Amino acid sequence: MKLKKVMAVGLASVMAMSMAACGSSSSTSTASTGEAAGSTAAASGASEGGSSASGVSYADIKLGETDTDLKAEIKVLTNRTDMMKDDYNGKNWASYIEDFNKIYPNIKINMEGVTDYASDTLTRLQGGSWGDVMLIPAIDKADLPNYFLPYGSVDEMSKLNRFADSWSYDGQCYGVATVGNAQGVVYNKKVFQDAGITELPKTPDEFLADLKTIKEKTDAIPLYTNYAAGWTMSAWDGYVTGTATGDAKYFNQVLPHTRDPFSDPGDGTHAYNVYKILYEAVKNGYTEDDYTTTDWESSKSKLNNGEIATMMLGSWAFGQMQAAGDHPDDVGYMPFPMTVNGKQYSSTSPDYSFGIAKDLPAEEEEASLIWVKWITEESGWAYNENCMPVAQDITKFPALFDAFDGVEYVTDEPALEGEEDLVNNLNSTSELAINAGGDAKVQAIVEAASTGSETFDDIMNEWNQKWDDAMDAEGVEAVDSAA
Amino acid sequence: MSQTTEVSAKPKKTFSEWAHSKQGRKAGVVIAFTIIPVVLLLVFTYIPFGEMVGYSFYKMKYIGPRKFVGWANYKEIFRRKDIIQTLLLSLYYMAGAVIQIILALYLATILSMKVKCGNLFKGLIFFPYLINGIAIGFIFKFFYTRGFVLDSVLQAIGFHLNNLPYWLKDKRVNNMSLVYSSVWRYVGQNVILFIGAIMSVDDTLYEAAELDGATKFQTFRYVILPSIKTIVVLNVVLSITGSLSAFEAPFVITTGANGTGTFFVVMNRIAHTNQRVGLASAMAVFLLCLIFIATIAQRLGFKYAFRNMDAEDEVMSGKKNKKKKGGK
Repeated sequence: MKLKKVMAVGLASVMAMSMAACGSSSSTSTASTGEAAGSTAAASGASEGGSSASGVSYADIKLGETDTDLKAEIKVLTNRTDMMKDDYNGKNWASYIEDFNKIYPNIKINMEGVTDYASDTLTRLQGGSWGDVMLIPAIDKADLPNYFLPYGSVDEMSKLNRFADSWSYDGQCYGVATVGNAQGVVYNKKVFQDAGITELPKTPDEFLADLKTIKEKTDAIPLYTNYAAGWTMSAWDGYVTGTATGDAKYFNQVLPHTRDPFSDPGDGTHAYNVYKILYEAVKNGYTEDDYTTTDWESSKSKLNNGEIATMMLGSWAFGQMQAAGDHPDDVGYMPFPMTVNGKQYSSTSPDYSFGIAKDLPAEEEEASLIWVKWITEESGWAYNENCMPVAQDITKFPALFDAFDGVEYVTDEPALEGEEDLVNNLNSTSELAINAGGDAKVQAIVEAASTGSETFDDIMNEWNQKWDDAMDAEGVEAVDSAA
Repeated sequence: MSQTTEVSAKPKKTFSEWAHSKQGRKAGVVIAFTIIPVVLLLVFTYIPFGEMVGYSFYKMKYIGPRKFVGWANYKEIFRRKDIIQTLLLSLYYMAGAVIQIILALYLATILSMKVKCGNLFKGLIFFPYLINGIAIGFIFKFFYTRGFVLDSVLQAIGFHLNNLPYWLKDKRVNNMSLVYSSVWRYVGQNVILFIGAIMSVDDTLYEAAELDGATKFQTFRYVILPSIKTIVVLNVVLSITGSLSAFEAPFVITTGANGTGTFFVVMNRIAHTNQRVGLASAMAVFLLCLIFIATIAQRLGFKYAFRNMDAEDEVMSGKKNKKKKGGK
C-alpha cells in the first residue's frame, strides 16, 4: 500500500511538472496569437493615422478643455516607488493626482509602484493585462506596435515633445518621454567662490586651471573621480557624443565609420580631449588621494558641504546632491567645459517613456492620453524633480539649467537604417563599450595617470587600435568624417 | 524457476499488469525517485554546459545572429596578455589558500583540545563565514580606506601613516589585501570542518600518545594529521580550485580595477559588459580544463606526499586498517 502511495506521489509530481510545461506553452501560444491579431489591428489603426478606439489624437487634446467630464479608471505603472510614499521629500504621486483631478474629476488614476521595474515590467508586458500606462521597458522597437498605442507620427510628435524618435517604429511614435537628462558637471558654487573663480570654465584648459586654483586656495578635492564604484564614471563616456562634438549624428552615425576616433583633432574637442581632462587631473593631483576607496554615497554629502568641488555626472545627480546635506543652494550644475567652434553643447537623453497599452476601451485610452499629456506638460513634475521638461513649449527649466544659457542641447539621432546594431557590435568587438558600461577603460586612465605606467597618447593609440581592429572584424567601411 | 514459467505462460502481460506487479512497482519507485534529480541535473547543469561549450566556437552576443569561428576564441585567450596575466593573480589566492589551511589546522588543533571559552572562539572564528559576501566587500572597502580602520589600528601600535601603503591603490599590496579578506572569511569554515574531523579521532590514540610521552606537536604530526588526512586533502583541493576562480572579493571591493581583475572578473566583464559570449564561454571551458588539471595534479601530488604517512598510519592504527581491508 505504501508503495502505491509513493508511486502516486511520484506520478503526481511528474504530472504536475508536465502540466506546468503544458500550461506555460499554451499561455505563450495564446499570447502570440493575441499579438498577431493585435499587430494587424495596430497596423490598420496606424494606416488610419494614429489613435483608434477613442478617435482622439494626442496632438488634439487640449488640457482642461477636451472631455473634462470623461469618466474612466486607469492603472499607471511607475518606477518611482519613492514617490508613492506620503513622506516623499518633494511632491508625491498622490498630490499630482489630486491636482489632475481638479481638471478631470472623473478620471481615477491608480498608481502602482514597481520596485524591480526594468525586469518586472518586461514579464508583465508579455503576460498582458498589466494596466493602461507604463514606462516602456527595454524591448525591441519592432515589438512596439504589438504592445503600445501610437501617439502619432514622429514628425508630428517631435513638434510637441523632445525625444519623440526615441521610441519610434515605422515613423510612428510610441513613447512620450517622462523627463530628459542633460550632460554637464555637478559643482559646489561656494568652493568656486572661495577660490575666486567667477566665470565658469568653457574649455578643458580653463577647467584644469580652475581645478588648480581650487587645490591651491581651498581644502576641497577639486575633482572627485568616484572611481571605485565604476558606473559612477560613466559620464565620461557620455560627454563623448554630442557634448564634445556638437553633432547629433556623431555617436550612432559618424563614430562607427571613423578610423582612429580617439586621435587628437587639435581643436580641444572630441573624445581625446574629454578623457585627457581626467588624465591630466589625476596626474596633477587634482583628484582625491586614494581613488580606490572612493564612496558614492558619501560623495553626495561631501559635494553638498563643500569638501568636493566638482564631479562628472549627468543632471540626474543634481537633485541627489542637493538632498544629501544642509547646503542645497551651494550645489550647482554647469555645462561640460568644452567649446566646439565657439559654442558649448550638452547631450540630452530621455529617461523612461510613457507607453499606452493598445486595444484599450475608448474611455480608458482617452484618459491615458490625457494623463500622459498632463503629467508631461502641465504638472510641473519635471521641474519639481530637477529634470529637463519634455514638452517643447515649456521654457521654464529648473534652476540647475541656469548656467546653460547659450548652450545648445543635442540629442543623439538614431542609427541609419540597416546599421542599428553597428555601434553595439563595434563596442562589443573592441571591448571599449563606449556608453555601454565600459567603465573599466575609464578606470584604467586613472590608474595610468596615477602610476605613470602609460602616457595618455599611448592609451588613446591603444583604443584606436582596438576600434580599428573591430571595424575590420565587422567589415565596416571608414567614411572620412570631414566630408 | 517459477517466475520464468509465469512469464512464459503469460507472454502478453499488459503494461498495467506489469506496473502493478512487485517488480513493476519497484521499478516505478526507482524511476519516480531518480527522475526528478536526474532531470534537474540535466536541465540545469549538463545541457547548459553543453550549450556553453557550443557557444565557445561562435562569435555571438546574447541576442542577434551568431557566426561559427572554430577555435578562434581559444586562440584569442592565449594571444591576449590581459587574459593570461589574470591567471598569475591566482597565485596570490593559492598562497592565501595554503596559509588559510595551515592557520585553520592550527586553530582547529588548539580548539579541539581543552581551551577556556572554546565554543566562544569557535563561534567568533566561524562568524565571518555567515556574513553575506557583498557586505564583506563593503566592510573591507572601509577597512582599507586611507586613515580608516586598518590605518588607525596600525597607527595606534606605532606605525606612521606616511609609512603605510595605500592598501587598495598600491599595486604591490592590493591583491594581498583582497586575499586577506577572503582568508578572513573562509578560515572559519575550514576550522569547523577540521574540528569535526579531529573530534572523530579515537580518544584512546591520544591517551596512547600521551603515555608514550609524545609532545603536542608529535601528537598532531603522528596522530591527528594522519587521521584527518582525507578532509585536509579535500579542503586543499577545494581551496586551490577555488582560488583559480576567485571572484567575489575583487568584484565587490575593487570591481576588478587597478590590476585586481581575476580570471573570473575579466570573464564576467567580457561576457556581460562587452557581450562577447563566445569568447567568455571559451574562457569558461579553458578555466574548467585548468581546474581539472590542477585537481588531478594535486591528487597525484598528495598520493606521493602521503605515501610514507600511509605506511606510518598503518603502523599507528594497524588494527583498524586491517579490519577495513578484511572487510573488502
